[in-house]
Amino acid sequence: MFTRRRVLAGATALGGAALLPTIAAAKGGLTAAIYPGTWEDAYRAIVIPALKKTYDVDLELQPLFAVDEVAKAKAARGAPPFDCFVLDPGPRITAIEAGLFEKFDGKKLSNASKVPSAFIDEWGICVGAQVVGIAYNPKKLPAPKGWKDLLTDPWVSRLGITGFQTTFGTVSLIEIAKQFGGSETNIDPALVELKKVLPKIAAVGQPAAMPGLFQQGQCDVMYTNTQTVATLKGKGVDIEFVKPESGAVAFYTTLHIAKGSDAIDNAYKYFDTVVSTPVQEALTKPPYNFLPANKDVPIPPDLPMKSLDEMSTYVLHDWAKINPLRAGWIEKFNKEMAK
Amino acid sequence: MQSTLTDIATAMAGPPPGRTLDVEDLAVRYGASLAVDGVTLAIEPGEVVALLGPSGCGKTTLLRVIAGFVRQASGRVRVDGAVIDHLPANQRNIGIVFQNYALFPHMTVAENVAYGLRARGMRGNEVKTRVTRALDTVQLGTFLDRLPRQLSGGQQQRVAIARALAVEPSILLLDEPFAALDRNLRLDMQIEVKRLQRTLGLTTILVTHDQDEAMSVSDRIAVMNKGKVEQFDTPVAVYDRPKTLFVNSFIGTTNLLSGKLAVREGDEVIVSLDAGALLRLPAPGDLSIGEPVLLSVRPEQLTLCSTPRPDNWRVEPGLSLPLGGQLVHEVRAGDGAVLKIVEPRRGVSSEPNRIFCGLAPDARPALFPRAT
Amino acid sequence: MKTALALRMKGAGYLGEWQLALPLTLAFASLFLAPLLLLFGVSFFNDDKLTEPGLAQWGKFFGDPFNYKVIADTLLLGVKTVAATVLVGYPLALVFIDLSARLQRVLLFVIVMPLLLSVVVRTFAWIVVLGHEGLINTLLLRLGLIGEPLKLLQTELGLVISLTQIEMPLMLLPLISVMSRLEPNLRDAAAALGASRWRTLFTVIVPLSMPGLVAGCLLVFASSTTAFISQTVIGGVRLIYLPLVIWQQSLVVFNWPLAAVASMALLVSILTVVAALSYLGRRASGAIHG
Repeated sequence: MFTRRRVLAGATALGGAALLPTIAAAKGGLTAAIYPGTWEDAYRAIVIPALKKTYDVDLELQPLFAVDEVAKAKAARGAPPFDCFVLDPGPRITAIEAGLFEKFDGKKLSNASKVPSAFIDEWGICVGAQVVGIAYNPKKLPAPKGWKDLLTDPWVSRLGITGFQTTFGTVSLIEIAKQFGGSETNIDPALVELKKVLPKIAAVGQPAAMPGLFQQGQCDVMYTNTQTVATLKGKGVDIEFVKPESGAVAFYTTLHIAKGSDAIDNAYKYFDTVVSTPVQEALTKPPYNFLPANKDVPIPPDLPMKSLDEMSTYVLHDWAKINPLRAGWIEKFNKEMAK
Repeated sequence: MQSTLTDIATAMAGPPPGRTLDVEDLAVRYGASLAVDGVTLAIEPGEVVALLGPSGCGKTTLLRVIAGFVRQASGRVRVDGAVIDHLPANQRNIGIVFQNYALFPHMTVAENVAYGLRARGMRGNEVKTRVTRALDTVQLGTFLDRLPRQLSGGQQQRVAIARALAVEPSILLLDEPFAALDRNLRLDMQIEVKRLQRTLGLTTILVTHDQDEAMSVSDRIAVMNKGKVEQFDTPVAVYDRPKTLFVNSFIGTTNLLSGKLAVREGDEVIVSLDAGALLRLPAPGDLSIGEPVLLSVRPEQLTLCSTPRPDNWRVEPGLSLPLGGQLVHEVRAGDGAVLKIVEPRRGVSSEPNRIFCGLAPDARPALFPRAT
Repeated sequence: MKTALALRMKGAGYLGEWQLALPLTLAFASLFLAPLLLLFGVSFFNDDKLTEPGLAQWGKFFGDPFNYKVIADTLLLGVKTVAATVLVGYPLALVFIDLSARLQRVLLFVIVMPLLLSVVVRTFAWIVVLGHEGLINTLLLRLGLIGEPLKLLQTELGLVISLTQIEMPLMLLPLISVMSRLEPNLRDAAAALGASRWRTLFTVIVPLSMPGLVAGCLLVFASSTTAFISQTVIGGVRLIYLPLVIWQQSLVVFNWPLAAVASMALLVSILTVVAALSYLGRRASGAIHG
C-alpha cells in the first residue's frame, strides 16, 4: 500500500539524490558559448555527458553566434560572461586583436597527438570545419555547376542571398567576386553583377532567416554551409549540396579560452573531451554530420570530403586581410541592395 | 420670463400642441426573461406620465423602447396614431434627457444644444438663433461657451433639457432626470420642468423610482412591477385607491392589519381584525366570506382615543415624534403588528390614556386577499 | 504646538512621498538613464577601441545621404504601420465595446494572446503565411485569383501586414480601455438628437476616444520603428531601417561609436514623432478631462 507518508518520503529521497551530485560531487563547472542550432544540439547530446563522465565537470552552454560572443566579451571588459569561445576565422581575429583570449598550450591536452598539428596554435584549437557551397532544391531546379550559374536563369530568379554579416555569406560573395575578376580584397565585381540581376533575385535575407525562407519555398537556391543542408534534409526539406567547380570554401571552427576565466583547467578538460575519439566519432554521425578534428576518426562517406588532408584542396581565405575591409563591404552591400 | 416661455411655446410646439403616445401590448425579452411583459398605455396629448417602480421593474427598458434604443419582442408604439417601430432612434424625433445628462464633454454648451440642429442639416444663423432661444428658456443664456464640466449639476441638467427641446421633439422622455440633484435643487427643477412642459404642451414620459417626484410632476402614474403595469391612474387615485397590494405598499407609507372577512351585508362587509375589532367597510368585489384578508390603512387614516369601542382595538403606546407640522406615533397592536399613526400637531386631543386605535371618520382603507 | 505638529506631519508626508518614489527613481536612473548617457558618451569616439575622442563618427553618419534615406524609411514604416493598425484596430475596438461581457472576455483573450508569444515566433509564423508557397499565395492560387505567387515576403507591404498583426495589441489595449469607459448614453443621446451612426462616430466617439487612439499610435509607432527582428526577417535586408544599421555596426563590425550615433539618430527621430503625437494627445484629452 502507498501511504501519503511513504510517497512523500520517496519523493524527498529522489529529490535529494538528484541534488546531491551538484552540491557535493561536482569539481566545478564551466560555461561555454556555442553556436545555436546544430552545434548546440550536438554538444548538448554528446559533449556534456562525456565531460561529466570523464572529468566530472558540469558544462553549461550559452547559445551565441560568433559575433555576439565577441560583442559580449568586449562589453564585459575582463569579466567574461562565459569561459570558452567557439569562433569562425573572422571573429577569431577580431577577438585576438581585442585581447579577449587567454594563451593556449596544446601540450596540456592528452588527445593533442590525435589532432592534426596545424589545428593547434597559441590561441586555441580547431575542433571542426565548415564547408560552404551551394544548396538547391532538386525538385525545382537543375543542379548549378558553380558560382556563376547563380546569377543566370533559371537559378537567379529563385536565388536567396545574404550579405557580409556572416562568415559563410562573406566567403560566398568573395567567391562570386572572383568569378568576375575580383579577389579576397575586392568584392566590387560581385556587387556589380548582383545589381544587374537584382530585380530577379528571389530573396535578400537576414542569415538567420535563410533556412526558413528556403523551407517555405521563398527561394530554391542559396549559398550556405553543409550543416544547414544536413539539418534541413533531416526535416524532410528537398535540398542538395553542390560543390562549386571552383571549389567549395572551407573555414575552421576554433575553441578559445576567455581572458579572465576562472575555470581554465576545466576549459582544457572540455577541449580535450571535444577532440577525443569517441566524441568526434559521435559528432560525425547523423543528424549532426560534423567534420572530424581527430585523425583516428574516419570521415563518413556522405560528407563532402574524404579525409582531413583534403582540406588543403578547399578554398581558404585570409581573414586578417578580410576583417579590416568588412565594415566597408557591409555598408556597400546595404547601399547597392537597398530598395 | 413668462412671456419668453409663451413665445417659445408658440414657436416650438408646432401645429398640434402635443402628440398622443400609445404603447400596445409591448414585450421586451432579455435572454430568457421578460423585462417588459405586455404593457399597454394610452397617453393623451400634453400629458405627463410617470413610470414608477423599483429598480429592475422594466420602466427604463420601456423608455428605451419608445426612444428606439431597444427593440421590442412584440407589441407596437404609436405616436399620433402612426406606428414608429420601424424607425431607428435617429429618425423618431423623440427627445430624451438622461439621468447623468449625457452631455458631450468635448463640446461647449452651445455646441451641445446645436448638435441636434446640425444633425438635421440646419446651418448658420438659424442654429445660433435657436440655440440662444433654447438656452434662454432654461435661463442659461450666458453660458454658451462653457464646457459641461464647468457647470453645476443643475446647470448641466438645464443644458440637457435645452438640447432635447431645441430640436422640437414630438415626445419628451426624462430618465430619472432629478436623481442626481440635491434635494432643494430637485424641487426647483421639478417645478421648472413642469412649467416648461405645460407651456410647450409637450407629451412627456418620466421614469422615476421616487414616488414624491411622480406625484408632484405627473398627471398620471403607471406603477410598474416585474415588467407589468400594476396600475395606471392619477396620483390621487393611485394613492387612495391602490389596485394591488404592491401599489399600495410601494406608494406612500401604509399599515397592514390582518383579519378575516366575517359577514357580508349588502354592499358592505364586516372584517374581524386579529388585533381584536370589527370594522364595517364597503364590500370589495372579489373576496368571499371567511377569507383571510389584509387591511391597508394609511397612517393619517388612523386615530387614537381613550374609550374602547367594538370598532377600535387596544394598542400599547410607543414613541411619538414631531415631524414638521405632524406628530408620528408608533404603537403596537395586540397581535404584535407595529402601526404608524400620523396626526396634525395642532388640535391633538389632550385626552390622557389614548390607548385605543381606530379608523378616522373619512378613512378609505383597502382590502386585499391575504396568502396564508 | 498645533501648528508645529501640523508642520511636522506635513513634512513627514512630504518625506514619505519622496521616499516612496526613490526605488523607482533609482531603478530608472541606473537601468535607463545611465546606459543612455553611456551610449551617448560612446558616440564621441573616433575609433572602435574607444581611445580617441572626437566627432568623426557623427560626421561619418550624417555626412552620408544614404543614412537620411534610412531614417526617412524607418519613420515612414512607423507611419504606415500606425495607419494600418488604426484602420484595422479602430473598427475592431468599436465592435468590442458593443459585445456582451462574455464575448468581450473571449475577444480580449484573442487580442492579448499574441503578446504571450515571443516576437520571434510570431515573426517566423509570418514567413509561413506570406511565403512564396505560403498560406496566402496557396489560397489565392487555389481560388484562381492569381496565376503566379505574389511576392509578399521581403516587401514593405508584407512587412507592414505582419507588423500590423504583431503590433495590434499595443493599439487595441489603450483604445479599448478608453472606449469602454465612454459613457454609453452618449451614443444614445446623439441618436435621439437625430445623428446617424457615422455622424455619431465622427463627432462623438472619435473625439472622445482620442487619448486612447493617440496612446495606441504612440506605442505602435515606437515599437514598429524598432522591430529589428520583424524588419530584417520579413522585410529582408534590402529594406534597410535604422535598427539593422545599429545591429550591423555594433554586432558585426564592432564599430560601437557609429552604432551609438545611429542609435541616437533613431532615438531622437522617434522621440520627435512621439512628442508631437503626445502633444496632440494632451490637447485632445485636455478638451475632455483637463
